[in-house]
This record gives sequence, C-alpha cells and structure tokens, in this order.
Amino acid sequence: MTALPHSAPAHHRSSYVPTGSGLSITGIIRSEWIKLWTLRSTVWSFAVMIVISLGMAALMSFAINPENAGANLPVAEQANTLVLASTFGLTFGQLIVAVLGVLIISGEYSTGMIKSTLTAVPRRLPVLWAKAAVLFAGTFLVGAVCSIGSFLLASAALAGRGVHANLLDSAVALPLLGSVFFLAVVAVFALGIGTILRSSAGGIAAVLGILLILPGVLTMIPADWAHDLVPYLFTSAGYGLASPSAKDLLQNLLIMAAWLLASVAGAALSLKRRDA
Amino acid sequence: MIQAESLTKRFGSKTAVDAVNFTVHPGKVTGFLGPNGAGKSTTMRMIVGLDRPSAGSVTVNGRPYREHSAPLREVGVLLDAKAVHTGRSAYNHLRAMAATHGIPVRRVREVIELTGLQSVARKRVGGFSLGMGQRLGIAAALLGDPATLILDEPVNGLDPEGVQWVRRLTRQLAAEGRTVLLSSHLMSEMALTADHIIVLGRGRVIADAPVADIISSATRSTVRVRTPHSARLATLLAQPDVTVATLEPDVLEVAGVTAAEIGDEAARAGIILHELTPLSASLEEAYMTLTQNEVEYRAGGPTEANNTQLQETKR
Repeated sequence: MTALPHSAPAHHRSSYVPTGSGLSITGIIRSEWIKLWTLRSTVWSFAVMIVISLGMAALMSFAINPENAGANLPVAEQANTLVLASTFGLTFGQLIVAVLGVLIISGEYSTGMIKSTLTAVPRRLPVLWAKAAVLFAGTFLVGAVCSIGSFLLASAALAGRGVHANLLDSAVALPLLGSVFFLAVVAVFALGIGTILRSSAGGIAAVLGILLILPGVLTMIPADWAHDLVPYLFTSAGYGLASPSAKDLLQNLLIMAAWLLASVAGAALSLKRRDA
Repeated sequence: MIQAESLTKRFGSKTAVDAVNFTVHPGKVTGFLGPNGAGKSTTMRMIVGLDRPSAGSVTVNGRPYREHSAPLREVGVLLDAKAVHTGRSAYNHLRAMAATHGIPVRRVREVIELTGLQSVARKRVGGFSLGMGQRLGIAAALLGDPATLILDEPVNGLDPEGVQWVRRLTRQLAAEGRTVLLSSHLMSEMALTADHIIVLGRGRVIADAPVADIISSATRSTVRVRTPHSARLATLLAQPDVTVATLEPDVLEVAGVTAAEIGDEAARAGIILHELTPLSASLEEAYMTLTQNEVEYRAGGPTEANNTQLQETKR
C-alpha cells in the first residue's frame, strides 16, 4: 500500500550558480537599497515630501510682506528670509520621514519579511547598519532636492522684490545643510524606535510623541527644570541646526547624536537578543 | 548535514523543544512529522538562527548557521510562505535577497522559471494565492543553490500538479547529494517523498528511522482472508499472539501470522480460500500509533475510535 521510493545514489551536487562574494556588507547595503526603493510607500512618502516642501516654500515666499522685502533689506536679512522660506516645509518633512523610518522595519515584522531578511543575514546587526545607511542616504538625497528646490523657488519668487542670496553662501548653505541633515537623522532615529517596538502604530506614535508632543508638554510644565530641558530636545536641536543663526552648532549636533545613539543602541540590542 | 544536540527551547514555563538529538543526512529526503505544537517549526527556526536555543546546539554542515560566510549557499529555507513583504513584487523580493550574497540577477530569473512564476513575477506579492506564495518561498530557498534545504509544509496550498512538482524537486535535490528536511501534514505525500522520518511529539523525538522501519515497528501487518468457512479457520488459527477479527461473515483480518502460514494451515484442514492478501500498514497509521499519546491539541471524542475508523476507511 505504501510505495517506498528508493533513493538514487548520492553523488556530488553540481553547482550551477557561480560562487560569488558570499555575504558582504556592500551586498547587504545593495539589498536594503533595492528594498527601500521597491516599495510604493517609499516612493509616495518622498514624492509627498517634495511636493509639500516646494509648496510650502512657494506659499511662504508669496506670504512675505512686500513692505518688509525690498532693496533696503540688509544682505544678512535677505539670506535669512530665503532660508526661512526654504525650510518652512521642515515641520511636515520630519513627520513623513519619521513615519517612513518606522515603516522600513515595522513593515518587515508585520509582513513576516524579517524572517527572510534575517535568514539571509543571520548575524543580524549588519541589517540594521545597512538599513540605517540607505535610509540616511535616501532621506538626505530627497531632503537635498527639497531644500535646494525650495531655495530656488523662493529665490525666483522673491527676486523681483529685491531679496537675493547665494546658495553657496555659508549663511544659506549651513542652515539648509542642517535641515537636510536633521531630516536624515530623524529617519534613522525612527528606524531605531521601530526596531525596538516592532509595530507600525506603536513606533509611529512613539516617534511623533518625542518629536511633536514632548516639546509642548515640557513647556506646559510650570517648573524651571522643565524649561531648562527644552534645548536638549531632539526637535530643538534639529530646528537649531536649520535656523539661519547657526549658533550652538556643535551643541546641537551632540544633542542629536545622543538621541540617535540611544535609539540605535536600543535597536541593536533588541535585534540581537530577541527571537525574530 | 544538520546535527542537533540536546537542542532545547523554552517559552516561559513551556518547553517547546526538549533536549532533542537528531542528525539529518545528505543524499536523502528526511521527513519531519509531529502533531501541531510538537516543536517542528521551532526546531526549524532554531536551525537557521531565527530563534535562539535555550540550551544545546544545532549545526549545519558542521557549524552554527550564523557562522557561515554565505548562509544562503549553505541552507535554503522555506519557513512559511508569508515571509515576504506584501508590497514588493516577487522579482524585486528575490533580487533583494540575492543582492546580500552577490548572487547574480541571472540566477533570480532561473529560480523564477524553475518555480513557474514568470507570469506573476512583476506583480506585488500581496495579491498572490497561497500556492504562488509557496512557489515564491521555494524560489527564494533555491536562490543560493544550497547544499541543505529546509522546507516547512512546502505543499501547503499547492494544487495536485504543484504537489507532484515539489515531490519530484525534493527527490531530485536529494539525489544530487543535498540534505533535505521536509515537514508536512500530508502523510500520504510524506510516504511518497521521504526516505527517512523523524517524528516529534511534545518537543521530543519519538521516532527517528527509515520510513519502512517506522511503519513495521509501529504497526502490525495483517492478512485479509476470504473464506466461506471463516469460523472454522478462525478457531484453527487461534493462538495467544494471534488476533482474528471478523470484518464480514466471510472475511477475516488476521494479525500475528504470515499469509503463507495461514495458507498452509487452511490447506491441511481442507478449507477453501477465496482470497489471501497480506496488508502492510500505511505511514499514516504508523504515525497515528506513534503520536497517540503525544497530541497536544486533540479534537473531541475518543481517539481510539477515531483511529479505528480511520484505519477502516483506509482499507
């Protein structure tokens, strides 16, 4: 009743795949880069970010009171005006990249993809580094497009009203660079939180809580210590980097680094220790 | 070659896999059987490092899976068909998996062709049927042309043609000298595909032997006898270790003696026989006998009755 198959004599298997490099960090980064751009959510998020940034810059440019503009405006003020106009979309941009950063990893947990990812890279941590690298690079690139695009748009809109500035002038380039850097760090920070919480809803809530709600809560607490903490918030440091007065540059960079380190270190521990 | 030594996994106070020892050898298909909750999937997950063993160890080709420099070339694994992001196309999923190991895109196309996914490769996986998902999972397992394959329920959701395809594929992979570990709930399919069986029950190995040995050790083979003188023959055959069951007025089922012995006995007594058929048990029956006391989630009703019913419908 039971047909028993007889196993054919075992011989050496013939490999038909050229033996390549094997597992490598460059391969893992390439894999994560492919993964990043082959999801519609990424493309949509970045597209929305570009549209909103440019739209905000346009809106801001036209909203600027013509009486305040004009040839009599000091050169430094002209630069500041343009920087403000071109970083106006930052508030919305950070929300989008925060959501994207969480989804990049929580989406893998919710769909089960993480099992495929971690069987390909069983040491696990390189996946986190690669995801962080491509997310940082991708967000930085798109952020740069938003930032430079917004600047060009605002320049064109305000040129007729005598507001001029050079993109390469450090008073313009530094805050713009700072805003792009802030966006990229927010994305990686969110990736870390998403890796710790493994849930899209939880991760997004936590990141938006830290970015948006924490500052409001601290300012509402009627105590000096609460107000003293405000400059050390993630967003305070980020907006500081993007503001025309690039003061406290080092301090803001260190504050952002500390937030990022906490998130990524927690993510590394969680990824390494817990069962997938 | 997969070797587990005292492999243990505890989830809280529950021990899912309990100090399991086994070796899966190359060149044959090893079937992994056990009731739901017996620890099959957890064991498979530990082999590829998704779950960390609470104690003991498991190695693939002599090393823990994570220590291989090209894991996908060592082990191809299908844990469940849903280990894919639903928003990505099959082609892009495989391309991303391949990129980690520097496996060329040419190989991605090869496995897509091999698994018959050409027509849906550019579609998003979210819209795939269970069967297409299984094929994609198998395609991913084959990407690195691995020496060892671990397939958890590979025929789940496949149509009969797909089931046959998986059977041929696994037999061929084993014939090429690869190690193939396969779990399935389809016992008839397992009987056709596997050479060797490991049965888990409540986290322990309760059998580890070639298919034929499993069947002969867990069940008694019987002989069906059709004769108009059934009552006389039954009295003749009566012995302490022989059981005779009357299935119909003229049909007996005898366990404990061979068909030849029954024939000789009948001839000596001048009893006419109309049928004398040795019956070997199926893997399914052997499995049921082995796991009778190991089932964790049992449906209502006495199991003994269920088993008898099953055996009778099989015959």
